[in-house]
Amino acid sequence: MANKKFCLGLFTGSVDKLTAAGVVLSGAAAMDMDVDIYVLLQGARAFKKEIGDDASKLNMSENAEMKAEFMESLKKLKVKTWLEFFREAKEITNVKIHMCGLAGKVWGGNVLEDFVDIVDDIVGIGSYINSAAEADVSLFI
Amino acid sequence: MTPEELKNLKVDKTVDARGTSCPGPLLAAKKAIGEIKDSQILEVLSADEGTKKDIPKWAEKKNYKYLGTIEESGYFRIFVKK
Repeated sequence: MANKKFCLGLFTGSVDKLTAAGVVLSGAAAMDMDVDIYVLLQGARAFKKEIGDDASKLNMSENAEMKAEFMESLKKLKVKTWLEFFREAKEITNVKIHMCGLAGKVWGGNVLEDFVDIVDDIVGIGSYINSAAEADVSLFI
Repeated sequence: MTPEELKNLKVDKTVDARGTSCPGPLLAAKKAIGEIKDSQILEVLSADEGTKKDIPKWAEKKNYKYLGTIEESGYFRIFVKK
């Protein structure tokens, strides 16, 4: 039986939502889903090589004033960083990470080498829409 | 299976995920099940409450057989047959 397809539009570049995306991605990996992630505008900044999982360079989307407590709690609970979640999911199942060309350029990323090494390619928006149309599960975070 | 039957099971692999929070135990189970053969039994140790619900659902979707859970002091022993 073919694996189910999971499409994620990843707009967010905030550490809390990226962590949530990583947890969701882990669930998809456990289910052996084929995953396509499309990194959109704000998300592209987090995937820049000089940002990645350096939490000091990432904002919180909610309860911004409680970032220190949030990060400390994640650490206590031994929760992986968002980038570790993404890397692990790629090791477990078929995960492709596609960078929206426009989003990359907005943050000064023009070629694959400008981004963390888990990004597979740079694509246009048509790829995202096609993938979302064919997916069994489609989320936008 | 009854708790007594579960306690007497011959387990082929045990994975201890008590140091991790969700989704750690589920991913530990996913990795470990790849290391045993069909019909063999996996035991997952987890202190994460959500795992009790997660693993039976995962097992059902993946066509593994969820055998049951034993509640120990501060953690769970969850049994799945591949």
